[in-house]
Amino acid sequence: MNPLKLVTKELLYRRISSIIILFTVVVASTVTVAIYTLSKASENETRKIMREQGLNLYIFPKGTNLIDFYSINNTGTFPDNYVDVLAESKTFDAVRHLTGILQIKYPDWKDSNGSTHQIVLFGYKDEAQQKYLPAQELMGFDVKKGTVQIGSLVAKNIKPDAPFIIDGTDGKQYSFKVGKRLEEGRGMMDQGVSFNLEELQQVLGMQGKINKIEALGCVCKDGRIRNARKQVQAIFSDLEVTEISSIADARENQRVMMNKYGAFIIPFIIISCLLITGLLFYQNVNVRSREIGLLKAMGNSSYTILFMILFKAFILGLAGGIIGFFLGSWVAEYFGKEIFMFTALSIKPVWSIFYYTIVIFPVLWMLSSWIPALLATRIDTAKILSQE
Amino acid sequence: MIEIKNITKIYKKGTAEFTALENVSFNIEKGDYVAVTGASGAGKSTLLNTIGGLIHPDSGEILYNGSDIYKQASRHTDEYRKKHIGFMFQQFHLMPYLTVLDNIKLACYEKHQLDSVDHYLEKCSLTGLKNKYPSELSVGEKQRTAFIRAIISNPDILLADEPTGNLDPGNSSILLSLVEDFHQNGGTVVLVSHDPLTAKYANRKIVLERGKIG
Repeated sequence: MNPLKLVTKELLYRRISSIIILFTVVVASTVTVAIYTLSKASENETRKIMREQGLNLYIFPKGTNLIDFYSINNTGTFPDNYVDVLAESKTFDAVRHLTGILQIKYPDWKDSNGSTHQIVLFGYKDEAQQKYLPAQELMGFDVKKGTVQIGSLVAKNIKPDAPFIIDGTDGKQYSFKVGKRLEEGRGMMDQGVSFNLEELQQVLGMQGKINKIEALGCVCKDGRIRNARKQVQAIFSDLEVTEISSIADARENQRVMMNKYGAFIIPFIIISCLLITGLLFYQNVNVRSREIGLLKAMGNSSYTILFMILFKAFILGLAGGIIGFFLGSWVAEYFGKEIFMFTALSIKPVWSIFYYTIVIFPVLWMLSSWIPALLATRIDTAKILSQE
Repeated sequence: MIEIKNITKIYKKGTAEFTALENVSFNIEKGDYVAVTGASGAGKSTLLNTIGGLIHPDSGEILYNGSDIYKQASRHTDEYRKKHIGFMFQQFHLMPYLTVLDNIKLACYEKHQLDSVDHYLEKCSLTGLKNKYPSELSVGEKQRTAFIRAIISNPDILLADEPTGNLDPGNSSILLSLVEDFHQNGGTVVLVSHDPLTAKYANRKIVLERGKIG
């Protein structure tokens, strides 16, 4: 008889023991998949929040008085090609979405009625893609040439379809199409006008200059800001980095905590389940000692016996792994929706771990049955079959 | 066919030693029906299992067609048991999760051996029970199933260890006549029993006394 058929029949006959072993795989697999999926969801949530709230790191000239910086007093400038140098650097990976900005207070802008207002001008250099890091979606701060994006307070002073007109330092008047009227509630941007960097530099006569780089800090194990500072200053010692604290930090802490707990819980549960399985297989081998003895008496080799026990572990590991994957994904989806509001709909089964699941769990469960299987091959056939 | 030469087997437990077989020698020829009798602990089962390739003797040789079965690689010993030996035990040792038919098929290692299953089922009055599980059988039916399983692959030797030990006189008689039938058709039988009456069909009798041929 085919050993596989024999294994299947035995598995079905000793249902309770098989179900308990299957249950241990399902528990281990479910917990692993659920924690992994939730951890991924948490990571996505963190990214999403960071993207929603904007770039969270500022890089500016060393020695800048932060009071001036935050109150939009004009601060020192540096060459805009610094952005490209950073983007080209192999060692610079703690920061993404590098956006060079020239941010200048413009105290005497005249609206169409001739009234003068103080506004803030932002010139955005095209977002730099880091050469040695995987490409990412742009965060959307690029402004097309010939257009401007105007804040809600500025927009109140410009008629619909009318262009934005500004006097340049060269005495010329510059006119830009209004590409976007931003909604209110964007803080400093409400009284600002965003340009393509080169055009603003021309208006202000500040060719090749910017006064800050905004960027998105990485999700770094050893601290975003410390890492970013170290890397930036290794390249440009005349720059420094500061961070806007954010709720992303809270999310990031949550994610780190989840990973920390996951790093403990997953091995703990898997090892516990493996030990239970090992004991169940040991018990199974003891119960089946006469059957195993008979198979050996009938000329089945130790390898066949070993194979039969390991194959049983493989089947249960595979079945439990698959069930656990779907159950774990469901658990993650069910609870994840409560926890991660922004990315709730994107919590889906992580198919990449499905393939790991169907390999890892059968292998682990075969390993847990390895010692009982070896003991089975060493059963004293003559003794066991002669016992009354 | 089988030469048993100066077989000695000593069991050790701590410092205590028990000599199960001591310099046992005899030959088994094709078509022999050898009954090995003796009191409990005389070494009958040890002898049978040694012939069957299950107990490695401490000294001596078991030669099957001229080669020592214990001086070969373990896969050859496995092969020897599979192709040349049929075992029957007092406890039947049927797989509880297999039907009568599947228990018998367990011993078939070649397809053509399945052809004679129905014939033996008929002969042993088990045709109507072939889809039953061991738990649904009487002890006599269980032992007859074990008998078919032992001979279905047409082994050179049937090694039976107290095959009637658990049977009533009626079932014992049926089983012994089946074994005799196997012998009459050219089979070689080595049957171990503490009951001298069981040996009535045997053409050779070996009496073991404390591990020695008496």
